[in-house]
Amino acid sequence: MARGLNRQQIGVTNAMVDSYGDLIFQLSHNMQTRRGDPIRELDFAAIEASRAELGMSDGQIAARVGLSEPQVMYIRNMMERRNFNTRHFQRLLELGGGKRFREERFTNHADRFEYHEDAIALREAMTFAPDRARHYAEQGWWADDTMSGWLAGHVSERPDAPAIIQGDLVINYADLGDRVDRLAGGLHGLGLGQGDVIAVQLPNIVEYLVSYLAIARLGAVMTTLYMPHRAREFETLLGHSRARALICLSDAGGFPAAETALGLELPKLQSVIAIGAPISGAVAFEELAGASASADKLKLPLPVAADPFLLLYTSGTTASPKAVPHNSHTMLGNARLGAGEHQLTANDVIVSAPPFGHLFALYSFHLALYTGAANLLLANFTPPDLAATVETGKATALFTAPAHMAACLGMGLFDKHDWSSLTLAILSGSAVPADMAHAVAAKIPNCAITQLWGMTETQGGLYSRPGDGIDIAAGSAGHPAPGAEARISDEGELQVRGSMLFPSYFDNPGANDAAFTNDGWFRSGDLAAEDDAGNIAITGRIKDIINRGGVKYNPREIEDLLDGHPEIVQSAIVPMPDDVLGERACCFAVATDKNLDLNRVCAYLLEKGIAKTKLPERLVLVDEMPMTPTRKIIKGRLILPELPQT
Amino acid sequence: MDKDAAKDSAEDAKKTILDYCLRKGALAAGVADLDALERIAPPGHRPSDLMPKVKSVISLGVGGQTQGAWSVPAKAMGYFGSTETRAYTIAYGAAFLIEGRYQTPAIYCPPDMDNEKGPRVPLQSLKLHAEVAGIGARSLAGDILLHPEFGYMYFASIFTELELPPDQPMETNPCPAPSCVSMYRQIGRTPCQKFCPVQCLSGSIDEDGKQAEMHYDMAACAEMSQQYEAVPAMLAEAMAAEDAQGREDALFDPDNKLLWYKMSVGSGGLLAQCFECMRVCPIATQAPQADPIRRSIAQTNSGESD
Repeated sequence: MARGLNRQQIGVTNAMVDSYGDLIFQLSHNMQTRRGDPIRELDFAAIEASRAELGMSDGQIAARVGLSEPQVMYIRNMMERRNFNTRHFQRLLELGGGKRFREERFTNHADRFEYHEDAIALREAMTFAPDRARHYAEQGWWADDTMSGWLAGHVSERPDAPAIIQGDLVINYADLGDRVDRLAGGLHGLGLGQGDVIAVQLPNIVEYLVSYLAIARLGAVMTTLYMPHRAREFETLLGHSRARALICLSDAGGFPAAETALGLELPKLQSVIAIGAPISGAVAFEELAGASASADKLKLPLPVAADPFLLLYTSGTTASPKAVPHNSHTMLGNARLGAGEHQLTANDVIVSAPPFGHLFALYSFHLALYTGAANLLLANFTPPDLAATVETGKATALFTAPAHMAACLGMGLFDKHDWSSLTLAILSGSAVPADMAHAVAAKIPNCAITQLWGMTETQGGLYSRPGDGIDIAAGSAGHPAPGAEARISDEGELQVRGSMLFPSYFDNPGANDAAFTNDGWFRSGDLAAEDDAGNIAITGRIKDIINRGGVKYNPREIEDLLDGHPEIVQSAIVPMPDDVLGERACCFAVATDKNLDLNRVCAYLLEKGIAKTKLPERLVLVDEMPMTPTRKIIKGRLILPELPQT
Repeated sequence: MDKDAAKDSAEDAKKTILDYCLRKGALAAGVADLDALERIAPPGHRPSDLMPKVKSVISLGVGGQTQGAWSVPAKAMGYFGSTETRAYTIAYGAAFLIEGRYQTPAIYCPPDMDNEKGPRVPLQSLKLHAEVAGIGARSLAGDILLHPEFGYMYFASIFTELELPPDQPMETNPCPAPSCVSMYRQIGRTPCQKFCPVQCLSGSIDEDGKQAEMHYDMAACAEMSQQYEAVPAMLAEAMAAEDAQGREDALFDPDNKLLWYKMSVGSGGLLAQCFECMRVCPIATQAPQADPIRRSIAQTNSGESD
């Protein structure tokens, strides 16, 4: 304190500080005004007259205000303390070296962006084992990959190259960059920013990719909704992801997506952005896409590779959704490392049969964006549309599920259309029947057929390479992607780890406990077998194993045989509870002959050499199977009806 | 008093002392009018308050920055504050010269703050000494002194009981420079006013292109140039934090940790000006001898050698 005296000795009270503090602060040297230049001429009268404005000493202030000098000194120092802003020094950090301070460009630290608590919670889910993170970085598997960085590179180096082709519309990389930049600015104008989750429910159209890239440019996180999702899924997934905005169609084939979202009780959802007819309460996508304040003009910070940018749901649209967060390290590193393995280049034209809401389709986009290839869009899959798109768009690389190919084969579309532009077809999304793979290879002989195994959690984990040949591709998913490791447990389960692996499910600790082994490997839930050359074949799902009185078997081989039955379109074998044996096998089937019965099915299987203990003991005919977007049967939704055995 | 010194007139003594200062590296030196200082400086900060029998106050200035310094980022410029020690060294030497040659008491005027008054109140205003001695004039940039030939300088003072004839303040104030007047006429602000990071400067220029008013928010300026209150502020912030995370953030965020580091090695915080007003000042950066490169060229052109 002043002169070493305390407040009681000086006689200063809080009331005095409050009463006189501002006056003393202004009279002191802290605020100075000089009129003219009186010292130049040693004009003492003028100097004396302006003394108060030039800043008075404590003694002079004391005489002016009627306090003692120690009191003035104490109060002045307290006021300087209260007015002192230690953070002001931050204003210097971006100045100098040719950069000048400009008021309009400066934002106070207190007013700067802050991640909200939901964004922080999501980032908390991005926790990796330190030794693995270090290893991935040291190996170069994790690098400075961002979609914004990749896009900027193409805009700069090959602006006229086609980026997106949809029918007659061709968008080059320069145009794509501009669209992304403006939409990111528009989204920013809605108050969306880094870490915000933005949901997208769109078919595979231009606006999907522009939205995805704009969300990434913003540093926000995209979560996807499948086109068949309705109010129930909206409520669950938008709620769980804490989505702040939804980009959707005004009218999704008769489903009022935007209106539905607006009608839900979702307190976190701030904006519904609609493409199509104007919807009351929704923001028009076109309005945002035409924003004049682009991300670059706004100088929005660029995203970094460690930021989460994708939140995908694998299952559970009701009680316990499993949300998989990815950052650019896990997701884009996998694409960068895979591009060369798949022999993709900037000259490729890539088409995805699955929707972008599914990871496999996003993987195709990541590969295209990394290489600078063109994305040929198929808005909604139908076999004829896929065939026509490949033919007219002269696609060179096709990402497809086995069911897509089976449908095209079944409709004879390989004979009706020209598929000869294809040099690569990657099959993934569900088990690949070997016969089907051979059949496709025979139809497009100059195209390398490969098989990829991946999950939302792993992206491209295993895949055969274009040079492996059809026998390996038809019989296995090849070997691990660069940066990935695979092992098969004693129970036959495929377990993986690597730079492409997600860190943990978001907001679902129960799922995390079950998903990882004690030593950090991810349990895929798939059964697998490895051949002498290290190629890994997926043979089924652990939870599909039938345990009939202690005899366990994988129903996959039965299903493969049944899919070759002349009257069966699709089949799925699931366990059904049994009081005596514990479980018995029940076969669900979509059949062309509605009179097909269990005896005929069993006779067919016995003829194929199947042991009696593996024969299904109940047959349920259904009109259609519940399917994932990649045409994989969702066995969990096959409900045993309370009906007598067929 | 030595034999030669005894023959010196006051004028000779003045020349001897000022020549010493210039020879040792000062760019300019002069003698301030003591009566003027006594009238202008507030009580407690007059020369006689420091040295009761003082008869003369000598002021000297050394060069501000090298030309290269202006290209350095602002965060690094904050450390470019040691130039003034060159002035202090010369002043120390001059005080020893005076006592040794003229056997008259002299002191090197301490540039430090008055520890009774707090960290922003100096014992003596070196700036006032220099201005009255005619080696600088107050600018619109918070009264930083500028010189038409040498730009801006760092100053030091010597007090002595030796009576020396005083100099007069500079007749013409180089601030504002013609380009600054032109800018002011167009946008109402001079470069220093426009580019100050905390907007602590404002004022006006009259019809003759002279300074009319200069407003200076020294408190805001001090926040940019000094971090001496950062440590208690940081501790207060930590104590007020709601939880352990908040306390940790308050004490160990990168900015604050830098301060702890500097305290631990005893070098103190940043104490230099932020320099942004000088970085854009045409006098400070472009005066004929504002930096060593310009001085070297000037000397070469005038046929002198360094």
